[in-house]
Amino acid sequence: MAVQEHVQEQLATAAHEKFNAGKVIIEHVSNSRLQHPLVHLPKVLGIDFSITKHVLMLWLIAATVFVVVTWVVRRYLRQDRLIPSGFMNALEAVVEFVRDGIVQPNVGRKWVDTWTPLILTFFVFILCANAIGLIPVFEVVGLLDRFVLHTGEDSLVKQLLHGGTTATANFNVTAALATITFGAIIVAGSRAHGFFKHWKNLVPPGLAWPLYILLIPIEVLGMFVKPFALTMRLAANMVGGHIAILAILSFVFLFAELFGRGAGVGVGLVVSVPLAVGISALEIIVILVQAYVFTLLSAVFIGMAINVHH
Amino acid sequence: MADDDRGPVSARSLRYLQENIRRSGPAASASYTLIGAIILLGGLGYAIDWWRGAASHWFALGGLLVGLFVGFYELAKTVWRR
Repeated sequence: MAVQEHVQEQLATAAHEKFNAGKVIIEHVSNSRLQHPLVHLPKVLGIDFSITKHVLMLWLIAATVFVVVTWVVRRYLRQDRLIPSGFMNALEAVVEFVRDGIVQPNVGRKWVDTWTPLILTFFVFILCANAIGLIPVFEVVGLLDRFVLHTGEDSLVKQLLHGGTTATANFNVTAALATITFGAIIVAGSRAHGFFKHWKNLVPPGLAWPLYILLIPIEVLGMFVKPFALTMRLAANMVGGHIAILAILSFVFLFAELFGRGAGVGVGLVVSVPLAVGISALEIIVILVQAYVFTLLSAVFIGMAINVHH
Repeated sequence: MADDDRGPVSARSLRYLQENIRRSGPAASASYTLIGAIILLGGLGYAIDWWRGAASHWFALGGLLVGLFVGFYELAKTVWRR
């Protein structure tokens, strides 16, 4: 009896709790909480290695891309015909597009084969990571859990329902990707001109020495600013689209709370759902453009380290 | 007729779009670097002020100014490079 009363009290409190749109939105776009990760792992050198939802998504995307691309390319290599078909045809078009449209115009013919694999990996990985955020995988799992599975509060299924699915909306993920670009810029410059000449190339030659005192710190700061801009731009764009959709859908609950259930349903049918569908359609373009812009900017920065003009 | 003018309208449109985006690459990088420099260095200055527990925001102001300087320097480099 005591348990029943407690549950009824909890339900009554929940019913009186106001709908907090900000909290709901943040919970739907952020990573799972560090206090409740999917898998607890010990800290190493002060770094928490616990597996959160975004880490899981990164692994899933990397594994899926690796398996699918390897399988398709191996199948193509085994066949007798040289002409690709089906998915291999699309894959070849993507490879050609990245090589001829992004890498070659920026790094030049000499280095195109060196830098295409990295830029292509960026493009495919970011595109898949962005795209999976538009597929309601965990929402379907949530529905199944609510109506069929009925798992406990601490189950893995319940843990999976917390947090967003777009790993590229996490600033740590985009910072890691931008760090790779940062390293690639240094490697590209060092390979093209030699290690010491690459650092000398940062500032224009033949200037008066007092100017170098000013220019060297500015150039060093500029080196860090470029990956920072990459980090912020991708994560902010990905998280922004999801926040916009969730904010518009929140109108349903806000209006239902203020003016009754009928008003909520009306606003949902007339405003929220059509607008959310429209923004979701725009998001399809956004996921493509964001993957393209990240790879384009990475190629531009690598190209600037190779083709130095002062 | 030039090679670029052949093919269906959609294919030509995509080709021109791609070409325009490709050409805008350096300009986009300069604009993002300008904004990034101001946010990064301004934020760094603000963080230093917060860490010091100071009531004034001189480091934030200094960071914003250096950010502006670095951003415009990168912008100028892109413009002169072209």
